[in-house]
Amino acid sequence: MVRFIALRLAALIASLVLASAVIFYVLRKLPGESAGATLGVGTTVDQLDLLRAELGTDLPVWQQYTSWIASLFDGSTTSFISREPVSELITSKLPITLPLSIAAFVVAVLISIPLGVIAGVYRESVVGVVVSALSQLGLAIPVFWVGLLLVWWFALRERWLPSGGFPRTGWEDPGAAITSLVLPVVTIAIAMSSVMVRYIRSATIDVVQSDYIRTARSLGYSMWGALARHGLRNGAVPVVAILGIELATSLLGAVVVENVFALPGLGTLLLTAVTGRDFPVVQNLVLLLTVVVLVMNFLVELLQRAIDPRLQATSAAGASA
Amino acid sequence: MNAKLRLAAVAIATSLVLAACGSSGGSDESTTDATATTGAESTGPVVIGSTNEPTSLQRNVGGSSGISETTTRNVYEGLTSIDDSGAVINTLAKDVEVSEDGLTYTFTLQDGVTFHDGTPLTSKDAAWSVSEIISEESQAARANDLRVITDIATPDDATLVLTLERPTQSLLFFLASVTIVKDGDKENTSDNGTGPFQLEEWVQGSHMTLVRNENYWGDAAKAEEVSFQFYEDETAMNNALLTGQLDLVIQQSNPDQLAQFEGNPEFVITEGNSIKKFVWTFNNKEEPFTDVRVRQALYKAINREAILSAVWGEYGQVIGSMPPVSEPWYDESFAEIHAYDPDAATALLDEAGIDGLEFSIQYVAGDTNEIIVQQIKSDLAAVGVTLNLQPIDDATWYEAVYTNKDYESTLMDHNNPRDVLWYANPEFYWQYDNKDVQDLKVASDEAATEEEQIEAIHSLSEIIAEEAPSAWLFMAPQIRIASADITGFPADKNAEPFYVAQITRTN
Repeated sequence: MVRFIALRLAALIASLVLASAVIFYVLRKLPGESAGATLGVGTTVDQLDLLRAELGTDLPVWQQYTSWIASLFDGSTTSFISREPVSELITSKLPITLPLSIAAFVVAVLISIPLGVIAGVYRESVVGVVVSALSQLGLAIPVFWVGLLLVWWFALRERWLPSGGFPRTGWEDPGAAITSLVLPVVTIAIAMSSVMVRYIRSATIDVVQSDYIRTARSLGYSMWGALARHGLRNGAVPVVAILGIELATSLLGAVVVENVFALPGLGTLLLTAVTGRDFPVVQNLVLLLTVVVLVMNFLVELLQRAIDPRLQATSAAGASA
Repeated sequence: MNAKLRLAAVAIATSLVLAACGSSGGSDESTTDATATTGAESTGPVVIGSTNEPTSLQRNVGGSSGISETTTRNVYEGLTSIDDSGAVINTLAKDVEVSEDGLTYTFTLQDGVTFHDGTPLTSKDAAWSVSEIISEESQAARANDLRVITDIATPDDATLVLTLERPTQSLLFFLASVTIVKDGDKENTSDNGTGPFQLEEWVQGSHMTLVRNENYWGDAAKAEEVSFQFYEDETAMNNALLTGQLDLVIQQSNPDQLAQFEGNPEFVITEGNSIKKFVWTFNNKEEPFTDVRVRQALYKAINREAILSAVWGEYGQVIGSMPPVSEPWYDESFAEIHAYDPDAATALLDEAGIDGLEFSIQYVAGDTNEIIVQQIKSDLAAVGVTLNLQPIDDATWYEAVYTNKDYESTLMDHNNPRDVLWYANPEFYWQYDNKDVQDLKVASDEAATEEEQIEAIHSLSEIIAEEAPSAWLFMAPQIRIASADITGFPADKNAEPFYVAQITRTN
């Protein structure tokens, strides 16, 4: 186990180094530069050069890269545009994006597990077909459109919930904060659960059709009894994998949804940073998201091994070979 | 004179519209309820929606219009200001004396001005703020216009003397963009403003809150607190206005959004002049745009009325040169010089020996620009010219078009006051080099009187209108929407600041 963790950790660090280089390089290949976008119409070439020298964007790319990496370690990365420390910008947005993603994920799990299992068990009856069709629909509709529709009904028409924004005092008034997150959470949850229902449905079908369930049923278990006794653990392995990925993507979903709901979170920050070519902000944010995804994958793997000891045996065999 | 009359006419028209909205509201019973409900909340801050967020509080970096829109005149004041009618007025300067040769400006500061932290304002602070913008390190857009200042002196605490290299009529106008902060400060803070409001907080990506300065040297602001709420998405902003989270939206850039407010007595829509011009520019150093006939032909080939009405319907104003309606050298007749005439366009292209012309237009992708370029494309197709559409984003435009001048033609909206003078700069991205225009710019600077200045810039505008280095399409309308109980904001936008000291909620 220690060996496994050490190996995975090494792979994690290698992936991060690679990811940081790719992020950095791709951004430098993007047309448009921060200096021009910051200064705007009316400024002269000399002034552009002054700003480039100030930001260090006139240095060779490798030098810009190393100084960025160095700045990651002491947390001194600063925005090209507002000149604020990037770490402060990011942490100030977490109280919005973190609860948003986590709540959306929890809601999506609560919706999709029962629906997915029902769709799998009753796959040939009306209920199963309807659930399947709904999840197809949820996949096909763009997330922002769902958001717009919800805003139109619940905020503009019925006036039950705010159309967007977040209380200026943040979480000081938890009631107001929560109401402002309801629609965004539902929007992301709808999109996420559509994906998850489909995975859980097919995992359920695999289990239902398996030999061990048939055997269990022939021994007198009811369908649900057999599933509870033998199905859960077996079906959980692929489902945990997809849940892990979805938890990470819920952060990405926030990017789109925050824009629709005018929430000043990480997504909005990323969007304005890309538009203004505020590279340090984009780099740190994307790298942070990469870390989250990689760590999530790592945790998923650990969890899967805990659920299914056979995985441990195979990978141990693979490692020693 | 003409321009002033026109302004008055617009003002009257606007007030009629306002009155009409008001009376239609009163005649409807259900409205009375609505007004009563909003009246109950009248104690809260006035919340203003905007999509133009400041980028930084650092001074003299670029021409961020977001920071001047929200804070200039409101929080930080200049020696002079441009008021809502577009006129230059004294602000922190109580009095300005200009020497006979026009080379020495002596400013006497207002009495009893203190910064928001209580420190008294002295001429040292003013001297610092002016010296900072013209310093070598300055990255301010107006730096070059002000570098005509050769000496800054402070004979006493209340007097500032600026000495110029040559006379310039525009000095007081350009000084309006230089806000005065404390000696040595390089950043705008909560402490170093002198305006009717104090900066309380700016949360990037969210909002900026201003609170009334109770020790203001002039007339106190009407509202106790005004805050700007920033949006990336215009639909989200208008939804907030519809649901009462906002009191006012500074500018609508999309006419499709208006329908939901029109005829609703809870809201007032104002239409005024803006300084936002949509300009289709040719690269004047590139073949075949070096040939004046080609540029004129292309300008005549497009139907500006149709473009404007496709974008804005009834609103806005077709233009034929750079100046917007509010500038004193604006002339309605410019729009007639290259009026829509496809036959004349074809004839001019033949004369220039151009056949099967094909070139590209780079434009910042977005709804409005998309409509415009599609119209231009089909108008040009009618005279046998092929236009290739190249949508890009803002930052790419600055690099490829503005900085590297690597383009054939481009569409951009220009928002700076008096930017017609940029046609006198051959280095500017349109690369238009005309000696007469450059001489007229100098003449306008050195003019002895304001009338002479106006005349020179008028002639300059006329020459470019004739020569068509760009094809000016239209001036966008300034459309603001406010909750019906909000008053005291100007309908026009004649300068960058959005002055909020007169805004108030009435019951």
